[in-house]
Amino acid sequence: MNHLRYILINVLQTLLRVLPFPCRTGLTKIGNPDRNSPVLLTGNFRLTVERLRRAIEGMDAYLLVANSRGVNVWCAATGGMLTNHDVVSVLKTSGIEDLVDHRTVILPQLAATGIEGRAIQHKAGWKVIWGPAYASAIPAFVRNRFKKTREMGAVAFEWPQRLEMAVAWAFPISLFALLLFPFWRDGVLPVIGLVWTLSMVIFLAFPLYERRLRTEGKNIGFIFFDFGPRALPLIFWGIFLAVLFGYALLIGGLSWASLLRWSAISLVVVVLLSIDLMGSTPTYKSGLHEDRLLRIILDPHLCKGAGFCEQVCPVEVFEVDDIRHMATLPRAHQCVQCGACIVQCPFDALCFQSPSGDVVLPESVRSFKLNLLGHRLVKSG
Amino acid sequence: MSTYVLMRILESAPRRYDLGMWLLTFGSLGHAYDRLASRIHDGQRALDLGCGTGALTLRAAGRGAHVSAIDVNAQMLEIARESAQAAGLAEKIDFREMGIAELGGEASASYDVVMSGLCFSELSEDEIHYALKQIKRILRPGGPLLIADEVKPPDVLRRMLHALSRAPLVALAYVITQQTTHAVENLPEKVTHAGFSIESLRLNTLRSFVELVARAPGQAA
Repeated sequence: MNHLRYILINVLQTLLRVLPFPCRTGLTKIGNPDRNSPVLLTGNFRLTVERLRRAIEGMDAYLLVANSRGVNVWCAATGGMLTNHDVVSVLKTSGIEDLVDHRTVILPQLAATGIEGRAIQHKAGWKVIWGPAYASAIPAFVRNRFKKTREMGAVAFEWPQRLEMAVAWAFPISLFALLLFPFWRDGVLPVIGLVWTLSMVIFLAFPLYERRLRTEGKNIGFIFFDFGPRALPLIFWGIFLAVLFGYALLIGGLSWASLLRWSAISLVVVVLLSIDLMGSTPTYKSGLHEDRLLRIILDPHLCKGAGFCEQVCPVEVFEVDDIRHMATLPRAHQCVQCGACIVQCPFDALCFQSPSGDVVLPESVRSFKLNLLGHRLVKSG
Repeated sequence: MSTYVLMRILESAPRRYDLGMWLLTFGSLGHAYDRLASRIHDGQRALDLGCGTGALTLRAAGRGAHVSAIDVNAQMLEIARESAQAAGLAEKIDFREMGIAELGGEASASYDVVMSGLCFSELSEDEIHYALKQIKRILRPGGPLLIADEVKPPDVLRRMLHALSRAPLVALAYVITQQTTHAVENLPEKVTHAGFSIESLRLNTLRSFVELVARAPGQAA
């Protein structure tokens, strides 16, 4: 029964992944925790909470669910919907302080874009430990005495996630396809079929073409009008057209009119699906966001090698040189501009720099969060 | 990484918050605030919980009170600060970016009056419980707690009517401010349960909006 419920929630939430789904906030006991059991915290996106609970089944721990407005931890923290206030609030009002003797809370690593470890310590008296990027690694992380291996902190875009994203895009677009019904009754099902097929192909084949997405600096605004390597929608469309025309030749029954019609429809579908293709992956910055062009800059005079950057970076940009007591950036090209390292650095040694040389200071990365289009406008506490 | 789920639209929404909330409360919010603020006197130390754009704060400061106004939303506070400047009341108001979870740091019995407009409806059950406990502590004995907020109507019929009448307004207010509120269940009971005694209670016809004056336990000095 529990199993069935879990599957149903996963299916429903994946179909409607683009919408927020809030669940109850507050404290839950996992297993039989005692006064020394670990305290884990996450946001109140229902899918996250369900998966986290399944991942830590069998552990003895306390789970705190903070108000992230029903949005997943990474997006909520980056967009100013999961803030220091929300974390302080659940620590202070849930009653957890009466249940444990320690004051250490494990936060999801991806919350580091919006939650400041030092602010939580200062305002609530709780020490923040940055946990793994994915809930599935939590049991190993706890067994490992809260030490993260490199893999635990890295995000990836494996096939289950690619499948999820394919569904998350195909379903809402299919709903729009239903609007065709009054005008073109026979076309609705084939259009929906086309949407799902193209979505699956585009997302599942991601590793085959992802190398083409790595371009240094050469990006002009809206993805579709950029005829550099980012003209992916056009390439997808071209492949689809080749298949379509091949098929027409083979069966010989398709008219020019219907070929033309399906070419146009497939173009629209491909553009819709790939409009935020990179933003749908955890390993690339959205092609729609202005700040994808920002570079991360380290001031070697300020850096003391504290290593918070290495702990919170989801794409393994940093390595701390223990001999020189300084961070290095051997994989700077993998940066997704999430800003977590800048937010956490206790010495303000990191900042963003735009191609024109403008600097985005740590203070503004901390207090201004990203809006839907990647503008740092949303002021948050 | 993706932010397409973020429901943030280009502009910052707090500038339009007042309009959205005015719509949600059928325009009755201002009158409720006026009536509550009439209980505040010159020279009192007042605390406004979730001051937002400063509607209650400015009324209290206008009546001569020294107001501490707290909110978790920095953008709202900025607007409130501007309004206070414009009204010449900035010196009487101490705006602070903090949540009710940090009320533990306020000294006991340090306020003559505590007020809150449309704040409880944004809090979780745990937070409401915690807030009431802290308010009781930081309010002087016998001091008034003033609340104006949305509540869930007590009976099924009114709940349905309320939901129906609100649906278009909720949608409109959401478009304007990307915010909505969640009506509180049994707010007067919660206030009583926390140890306050209710002095006056005013509900609208649908029993969906409450204006409440409660007293902290103990005798006024």
